[in-house]
Amino acid sequence: MQTKPVVMEKFHIVHTSFVVDLSFTNNITILMGYSGVGKTAVFSFIQECMSIDKRILCINFIDYQKNIGEILEQTSGKLIVIDDADVLLDSDARKHISLDEKNQYLIIGRNPADLFATKENIFELVSTSVGEHTVFTIQPYL
Amino acid sequence: MLTIYKNKKDIPSDKEYVELNDLYFNMNTSSLLDERAKSIIEAIDSSEQISKYKIRSRFNGDVLNIDKLSSGCKTVLNVLYNPEKVFCLKECGENALDVLFGFEKGAVYSDYPIIPFDFEKVAVFSDGEIKVIDDYEELKEWWSNAD
Repeated sequence: MQTKPVVMEKFHIVHTSFVVDLSFTNNITILMGYSGVGKTAVFSFIQECMSIDKRILCINFIDYQKNIGEILEQTSGKLIVIDDADVLLDSDARKHISLDEKNQYLIIGRNPADLFATKENIFELVSTSVGEHTVFTIQPYL
Repeated sequence: MLTIYKNKKDIPSDKEYVELNDLYFNMNTSSLLDERAKSIIEAIDSSEQISKYKIRSRFNGDVLNIDKLSSGCKTVLNVLYNPEKVFCLKECGENALDVLFGFEKGAVYSDYPIIPFDFEKVAVFSDGEIKVIDDYEELKEWWSNAD
């Protein structure tokens, strides 16, 4: 599915020696790949930004008891970053995301079911050492 | 060998099902780790376990609490140290699956297929029947068929 990002095309944050430098080309970005490449670390760095950037909402397993679908329906104008998505998102929430024009999504998970995703939506994390820094970017998975 | 469930209703009532692998690892499995964990942490997360609760980051060499392991690595360790329980498989990447599908015991659940390219054999359980599968396509077919 090819739709332009509705909240932001770039996201940049520095967390000590880590730099997160993401370019979004789609409104739904699904981040998949091997275990241990830093996906949840990146999530935690983005989560830190919730305190200074109102456009960001982060959801992970801590929110397991909450009604995720209801949260998504009540949210507008945000980059919604969802870690542990394969456990947290049921079919209805996935369908809502696929049709949501009010929010942008960064979904960390490996199951694209019910998101009407195409290869344009699927990315993997890349880490590069630059001097003392580790820079995280995303690139197309396929 | 690893046992796979595709329907929650098939999980025996005396077996606990664990969906949140991160939390279960942090609260339970982490205290059980021994020498066996080292090679798994190295294989999946490319990190060195330097003491029971400490790892060295693959990215910058920082010493981190073991709660910073990936969800996939935590899932594999949960299965290894708690073979009597059933763990959600959904957060395992290909590299974690490669390790997990070689286990001699343990159990996992997923309602959709998650299969590494190379595996020897697994036991699958549905509708009260258990059978052994050693072929990728056969396993995919079993997992894709709704019972």
